[in-house]
Amino acid sequence: MPSAADIAWLIPVLPLLGALATGLGLISFNHTINRLRKPVAVVLLSCLGAAAVLSYAVLAEQLAGAPPVTHLFIWASAGSFTLPMGYVIDPLGAVMLALVTTIALLVMIYSHGYMAHDKGYVRFFTYLALFSSSMLGLIISPNLLEIYVFWELVGMCSYLLVGFWYNRDGAAHAAQKAFVVNRVGDFGLLLGILGLFWATGSFDFQGIADGLSDAITNGSVPGWAALTLCLLVFMGPMAKSAQFPLHVWLPDAMEGPTPISALIHAATMVAAGVFLVARLDPLYSQFPVVGLVIAIIGTITCFLGASIALTQMDLKKGLAYSTVSQLGYMMLAMGCGAPVAGMFHLVTHAFFKAMLFLCSGSVIHAMEDVVGHEPILAQDMRLMGGLRKKMPITSTTFLIGCIAISGIPPLAGFWSKDEILGQAFMAFPLLWLVGFLTAGMTAFYMFRLYFLTFEGPFKGDDKDLQNQLLSAAGKGIDDDHPHHAGVLHESPWSMTMPLAVLAVPSVLIGLLGTPWNSQFAALLNPKEALEMAETFSWSEFLPLAGASVAISTAGISLAVLAYYLHRIDLGQLLAARFPSINSFLANKWYLDEINEKLFVRGSRKLAREVLEVDAKVVDGVVNLTGLLTIGSGEGLKYFETGRAQFYALIVFGGVIALVVLFGVLGSPVS
Amino acid sequence: MLELAVSAPLETGAQLLTNEVRANFPWLSLSILFPIVGSLLVPFIPDDGDGKQVRWFALGVALVTFLITVGAYLYGYDPSLSGLQLSERVSWLPDLGLTWAVGADGLSMPLILLTSFITALAVLAAWPVTFKPKLFFFLILAMDGGQIAVFAVQDMLLFFLAWELELLPVYLLLAIWGGKKRQYAATKFIIYTAGSSLFILLVALAMGFFGGGTPNFEYTNLAQQSFSTGFQLLCYAGLLIAFGVKLPIVPLHTWLPDAHGEATAPVHMLLAGILLKMGGYALMRFNAQLLPEAHAQFAPLLIVLGVVNIIYAALTSFAQRNLKRKIAYSSISHMGFVLIGIGSFSVLGTSGAMLQMISHGLIGASLFFLVGATYDRTHTLQLDEMGGVGQKMRIMFALWTVCALASLALPGMSGFVSELMVFVGFATDEAYTLPFRIVIAGLAAIGVILTPIYLLSMLREIFFGKENDQLVSHTNLVDAEPREVYIISCLLVPIIGIGLYPRLMTDSYTASIQALVKRDEIAMQRITKPSALLIRNTSMAPAVISSPRLPMAQSHS
Repeated sequence: MPSAADIAWLIPVLPLLGALATGLGLISFNHTINRLRKPVAVVLLSCLGAAAVLSYAVLAEQLAGAPPVTHLFIWASAGSFTLPMGYVIDPLGAVMLALVTTIALLVMIYSHGYMAHDKGYVRFFTYLALFSSSMLGLIISPNLLEIYVFWELVGMCSYLLVGFWYNRDGAAHAAQKAFVVNRVGDFGLLLGILGLFWATGSFDFQGIADGLSDAITNGSVPGWAALTLCLLVFMGPMAKSAQFPLHVWLPDAMEGPTPISALIHAATMVAAGVFLVARLDPLYSQFPVVGLVIAIIGTITCFLGASIALTQMDLKKGLAYSTVSQLGYMMLAMGCGAPVAGMFHLVTHAFFKAMLFLCSGSVIHAMEDVVGHEPILAQDMRLMGGLRKKMPITSTTFLIGCIAISGIPPLAGFWSKDEILGQAFMAFPLLWLVGFLTAGMTAFYMFRLYFLTFEGPFKGDDKDLQNQLLSAAGKGIDDDHPHHAGVLHESPWSMTMPLAVLAVPSVLIGLLGTPWNSQFAALLNPKEALEMAETFSWSEFLPLAGASVAISTAGISLAVLAYYLHRIDLGQLLAARFPSINSFLANKWYLDEINEKLFVRGSRKLAREVLEVDAKVVDGVVNLTGLLTIGSGEGLKYFETGRAQFYALIVFGGVIALVVLFGVLGSPVS
Repeated sequence: MLELAVSAPLETGAQLLTNEVRANFPWLSLSILFPIVGSLLVPFIPDDGDGKQVRWFALGVALVTFLITVGAYLYGYDPSLSGLQLSERVSWLPDLGLTWAVGADGLSMPLILLTSFITALAVLAAWPVTFKPKLFFFLILAMDGGQIAVFAVQDMLLFFLAWELELLPVYLLLAIWGGKKRQYAATKFIIYTAGSSLFILLVALAMGFFGGGTPNFEYTNLAQQSFSTGFQLLCYAGLLIAFGVKLPIVPLHTWLPDAHGEATAPVHMLLAGILLKMGGYALMRFNAQLLPEAHAQFAPLLIVLGVVNIIYAALTSFAQRNLKRKIAYSSISHMGFVLIGIGSFSVLGTSGAMLQMISHGLIGASLFFLVGATYDRTHTLQLDEMGGVGQKMRIMFALWTVCALASLALPGMSGFVSELMVFVGFATDEAYTLPFRIVIAGLAAIGVILTPIYLLSMLREIFFGKENDQLVSHTNLVDAEPREVYIISCLLVPIIGIGLYPRLMTDSYTASIQALVKRDEIAMQRITKPSALLIRNTSMAPAVISSPRLPMAQSHS
């Protein structure tokens, strides 16, 4: 019997086959396939389920100590250039495979409930399977170029899924923005890959790292060039993992259906950037400067995300900025030279953030029955409140997620975040301080979300408030919109079951990464795990951990006072006193405005000017020539005398001119 | 000095071109003559004026032509050989030195297949033509033969004739079936292309009569001539103008948006799918192959022009509000990669240029077909008058999305592979100085950002958002019919096939490209004083010579 790693290529191929079958079916027999909801869902679920089983088998093998497996074939060749493609199975990949298939499977089950009333049910499932396939392909890619291929494919799936409800203008813009901003990152990634290939003649991770250090030693590549290439490659992860200043697409991408926000824009795709940086660790660890840049960008992102999340009123946007902030933590870990810590946070975050997003989906699903299918109303927390009594499972799991992300032991987030902060404290104390303060903000805004949504009185029936919100968003109040005026209810089992399942790892998985006995580190990097266990001392761990818990508790307490007990009014206390800070945060640091003015309008203006030049100048010259020809023809016709000698004279003159021309330019006969 | 300079390439370069293989069966003559004979039979088809019989006849002829070219590829062509194959030679006008010489090598064979393939689909796309159907299909079939001839002939004078012959059908197709400004567009097209092809004739005559004696215009003969550098440069400049109009190279491009903006969908497919490729093919065949020393001097210019094409046309495409013209400009932008590839002096880059031509032939044809199909429903090409169309036309939306993604070089589709090959080929190739490569690669990569901006904006404005009430109330937005889905699927199969496994296509021509690039590299080393400072005058090219044999090629030989 072959080992699971030998048939691991099936992991991305299975969902792909499923997606292809339903996709072709949708194009050829649209109506029939659209009616076959259950069969399609069952087929795709079993494809993905089989992939999940295989992934766990692969992970089990790696846990048992199997060596990494690589299989390659020649994909393209020309001249001396050959490009191998294939797949690689190593501990890092095995962890990601298990993570992605688990969450994708749960999200797919959840979608069965969430998308039940949507006309595009089958299309949605097809896209989901396609995305899973691309993401799994990305994980097992053995070289940078293959990563780039799948990198683009997950970007495309994100584009398709963000724009899923394509009759909404917001979704259309968000989808395009997501793709274009990611392409800006890919621009750097592509140039970086090209440059690294030029410098090292290799595309695979270890080959690049070795080749580059050799090239620097023997002087064929200057140090600054190598540095530039590393930073160019980092532009890719910056866009994909929503790092400042390329994070602007992620909050807008919340226009997509909520299961997508959970799967793609919280747990898996956005983590691909962090994953790539982890893959490139052999390369990046050679350059401390690159590490510093990554750490600084990660810290800025981390702080920016948390600060904007403080003022968000849209439930999903609040979670989105929280994701941005957490991705910043992961990058900070990467920059501190602690890829294991970063990957650990990636894993824990994937579970609890996916759960939080799915909870928000459950809330929105319930709200839509009351306020209608209008995202501006259904996602606004000003209309929510008091949902805990109606939706016990959702509210409980959401609370678990909040505790986990706030870093209260022994839940998952505590261990991973604390590990990152500990690493940062040793590497860059200043950045640690920012990360530390951000941890307090995180606890505050998460519990703010919880209290606004689930506690207090329910305000969804308030028509005046609804109209006020609609007009604030610039939308007309359309009375022909069917008012559901239904009652709040807990979501069906297909939606609550994934929440309950995800709650388990959100609570427990952190225990796999305790600093004194980290099984996670033992899998990814046994040497580092040993070192960690040896150097671990309670006297170092307790003060730092105590400080993080203290600041988290402070954040939670503030949230309790402000939003649960209503003892302090933050609006009066802070927002009124510092209006500039408040509007700075509410306007998301004005980054969208700057983008709009500088890049969007700038490029439009440039394009229009070039077109103007094309039409007036380049084409103008052509048309002018046409006019001149007519003019000269009119003039020349008076030379048409009918005398043969005159023609002969002109021909003779022409020949002389040609001879002179050739004589000047060099003899044609050598 | 000069004698020394030209003697060595004679040995290596000419050798590669003279090992030709005679055809076992007149495949190529048949594929040229069959559609032409078929077109001559069109007037005799009984038809009551609505074209029902004629279109079936035309489809049959086009399909048989396609099968003939496929047969030629499968039974007469060996992809592992670099030289001329399937060659036929009949003395035609010996006094003039004109012979009917046809043949195919790696440069022409893929394009011959592309031509017959796209033409067959264009006939299918022309199903709704009811205005003068006999004349229409007559012209399409005549064009089929003419275009195959352009790629297959091995005689420069014959090439000129075929090049000119194929202009007339295009002119008429534009002038009779086009949009409102069709007369202007057709006239502009014919003046541009006919005017520029004068240079082809001049250069053909100059090269054919070179050295005295009986004129001989065959490529194999011309390749053995030892033209002096000055003569080469002059010829090169002339040909560059002629082919630059066709490709097109900015600023010789302004006929294209007009012609494409006025053409009907099937003509459009032919224009984008095949006509533009004639320019790229001819640049490789004549400029790069026959005039290697001039090519070594001109290549940096080609690369700069290529980058200008990419960025300039992408920007104009972004600003265009007319759908057809938008796609037309995007074609120009994509042709920039062909120029960079041809000028790259690397097997990988040149191979990428070839693949980009094939890939754009397929993707461009599919996009233009979709433009036509959309226009049939919306009756407008202005993006401002569209919007929200996707709600009624779901399948059409899906097809558009796939083709637009293919055009913006999404991995898994052919466009990505070809652009990547050009990028890698150019960036890693030591023929140019490092700063030049950095600047060019950086600028060309800006195209990677600009292309999705204009293509996705276009999709958004046509399909996304609320339905445009005015459009919906005035038009009948029916979804794609099976014929349309079929045409796009036919185009997508090779697009995705090449994208997933590029060697399906590249293996069929790599040998010839290697020979071509080797010849150019040898010529470049001969240049003692490179006029273009961009080229590094150092020894190079061992990598190309020691290239590994391709497994697939071995299985054929």
